[in-house]
Amino acid sequence: MKAAIALLVVFLAYPLIFSNAFYLDIGVALLLAAISASAWNIVGGYAGQVSVGHCMFFGAGAYLPLLFFHHWQLPPIVGVPVGVLVSLALAVVVGMPTFRLTGHYFSMATIAVAELIRLLVGTWDFVGAAIGLQGPAVARGWWDLTFRGELPYYYIFLTVLVILLFVIWAIERTRFGYYLRAIKAGERAARSLGVPVRRTKLYALMLSAAFTSIAGSLYAIKTGFIDPESGFGILVSVQMVIIAALGGAGTLYGPLVGAIILIPLQTATNTWFGGGGSGLTYILYGGIIVLIARFEPGGLHELWYRIATKIRRRRDAA
Amino acid sequence: MLLLQVIVGGLLLGAIYALFSSGLTLIWGMMNFINFAHGEFVMLGMYVALLVVVWLGGGPATFGFAAAFGLFVLGIVVYAGLIRHVTRGPMLAQILSTFGLALLLRYTAFWIFSANVVSLPQTSLGGTLNIAGILVPTAQLVAGVTAAVLTVAMHLFLTHTTMGSKLLAVAEDRHAAMLMGIRPDRMQALAWGLAAAGAGIAGALMAISYPWSPSVGETFGLTAFVVVTLGGFGSVPGAMYAGLIIGLIQALSAFYFGPIYKDIIVYALFAALLWFRPQGLMGKA
Amino acid sequence: MLLSAENVSKTFGSLRAVAGADLTIEQGEIIGLIGPNGAGKSTFFNCLAGDTVPTTGRISFDGIDVTRATPEEHARRGIGRTFQVPATFEDMTILDNVMVGAFLRHHQRSAAREHALAVLELVGLKDRQNLRARSLGTPGRKRLEIARVLATGPRLMLLDEALAGLTPAELQQAIALVRKIHETGVTLVIVEHIMEVIMTLAQRVIVFNQGHVIAKGAPADVVKDEAVIEAYLGRGHRHWRK
Repeated sequence: MKAAIALLVVFLAYPLIFSNAFYLDIGVALLLAAISASAWNIVGGYAGQVSVGHCMFFGAGAYLPLLFFHHWQLPPIVGVPVGVLVSLALAVVVGMPTFRLTGHYFSMATIAVAELIRLLVGTWDFVGAAIGLQGPAVARGWWDLTFRGELPYYYIFLTVLVILLFVIWAIERTRFGYYLRAIKAGERAARSLGVPVRRTKLYALMLSAAFTSIAGSLYAIKTGFIDPESGFGILVSVQMVIIAALGGAGTLYGPLVGAIILIPLQTATNTWFGGGGSGLTYILYGGIIVLIARFEPGGLHELWYRIATKIRRRRDAA
Repeated sequence: MLLLQVIVGGLLLGAIYALFSSGLTLIWGMMNFINFAHGEFVMLGMYVALLVVVWLGGGPATFGFAAAFGLFVLGIVVYAGLIRHVTRGPMLAQILSTFGLALLLRYTAFWIFSANVVSLPQTSLGGTLNIAGILVPTAQLVAGVTAAVLTVAMHLFLTHTTMGSKLLAVAEDRHAAMLMGIRPDRMQALAWGLAAAGAGIAGALMAISYPWSPSVGETFGLTAFVVVTLGGFGSVPGAMYAGLIIGLIQALSAFYFGPIYKDIIVYALFAALLWFRPQGLMGKA
Repeated sequence: MLLSAENVSKTFGSLRAVAGADLTIEQGEIIGLIGPNGAGKSTFFNCLAGDTVPTTGRISFDGIDVTRATPEEHARRGIGRTFQVPATFEDMTILDNVMVGAFLRHHQRSAAREHALAVLELVGLKDRQNLRARSLGTPGRKRLEIARVLATGPRLMLLDEALAGLTPAELQQAIALVRKIHETGVTLVIVEHIMEVIMTLAQRVIVFNQGHVIAKGAPADVVKDEAVIEAYLGRGHRHWRK
């Protein structure tokens, strides 16, 4: 608990110390990445159901607010709960049939449905087709959430992250939370203990989808723009997965740690390598994911635990 | 007549889908493992073809063999270096392993070859044939027929040779296979080699008639998922029929609704399959 | 009558694993299920546990038809099982493992924790509650599995070779534990290869061979049965024949 409060203080103070727009930008991107990855973590990390198409929820959350603005000049925030509802519906459509089959079907389905939506959105004029949608260029009032600087976004995102992490922390201590972990640890055994596996997985997916949708909404409101690639592109899904997996899938702070490491790193490689940098970044991401899978699926959290245990054992033996 | 042409074209492409999907379903049946990088194996086959033509001036036979051999080796290397170590681990590791590999291969290809769409210079297989009033590009016909022959050959290899029955034995009952003296590890490595080689040749065959870029791996990978699901878990014959069906559906969708819909309808079909018949044509319920 | 299986058969393709098995179990009994490898006892066991759906036949628990019930439903009704190869939640602590079981009947974390600790006390793992399950050897894992199932409050426990691979001292401890569990009122069906366990614990024994039930009765009688001896070709029975 003390560590958590210290961390919170650091995050609260960050913009006051690094008030430069460049650093503030990284901070905002970091928080957003941590929110998305933590949301993915609920179903992918805790329940062990690996979604590689989570961008479908992110995109839904990103498109709906801008849609409401584009067609009806409503403040984008109105679209946020609608985005959540659409994401919940998607979660049910994807999860219900696949959660009674082996895990691979779910993963394949997430990637296929995400691609399906991306292609459809790209051809549908109502949602902007390939061009995409834009948000308010100038704020008509505070409710448009269109701010000039990044600072307000920073604190809004931080608030959402704190709420999300608190929700996950609370879930960890409930029957639902234990059941999630049991499913990941051994589905067959979990079933034999009375765990309602299919239903639990579905709830996890729905919860994850809702928060991912909110992350998407935050992104769209901040950026003021969305298109099929930035909403429903596979790289959106990849980033969520790698950040959570690197820090430690299935742990509370894993995604945040992953974000703290990868977002500045990503900014660095993009700056060093310029335009071609993004290609190199994803080669790196691919490599990191393979290494995590091969050597430490539990991510840095697990690595830390293993090293700490070895040190403790050596100290006890001495 | 035009419709018939579309149908023939769809079936020929479908044969290529059948070829690369057979390998995917073989691995799935043997190891309960889905290779998320399978589409990238196809993509690499296409680039091998390009390199052979550009550097060595080789023809289809040459680059066909090159793709087969190169990808066969890659398949075994991937199995030995990565897959073997994650199959007994958590699902997260299993899925991330080939998913990460797919990204690695795809973006390395982007980096080396750039995102430009490329195609092979005209080979000896130029021109169009007129068969009973249907116009078929020679290249497509040769590619499709070759793919069909190779797919059937793979099926026959599995069902009528000693090596093939060893592979099937591991797929059927790993434990029993071990008791019979078969080494599952060796057989699985072989399966990966064969699957990758199949994907590689399929890519080389497609390169003859279609342009591509590194991003095709993603599309082919998804297509392979649909084909193996429609075909049924672990069923190579199922993948054969399913490949043809999907090729046909794609061609008809593009014809009636427009090119962008060829993938949309296939993915929608996938979703429908998962809801209503996940075991596909020949899988067990 | 707590559990009854009537004419249960299970066919896999052309292979008939179990053919027409009948069994009734009264509350409070300890039933032994024995037979050579591949005799069908594991398949039958899995039918009782809800892991496999019988091809024909009927299984009722407490008068309710559970033939097609899922494993989750089995647990909720009060049938628990362990696995031949222990399936503990490796990266969760020993306490958390048992809590997953406890949560079936105790929805609040504090109540589940309390119950889990009580069960851990019973099986003798309480002092290691915060260690990961992974740190246990196979005997420890088997004990943990038993604790985990026990925490679900079962009326019938199906133990699948839970006492295999133990040293003689560990075996005595395990037999004592099974007795303790039995004394709390749990009915037990035990699949075992170790004759000592069957002879000392089982009140009645069912013998499978090639998918059929070939003998039923008290251990001392079953062990003298010609058909059983034939099926086993010397699995420790000679010792008991004296």
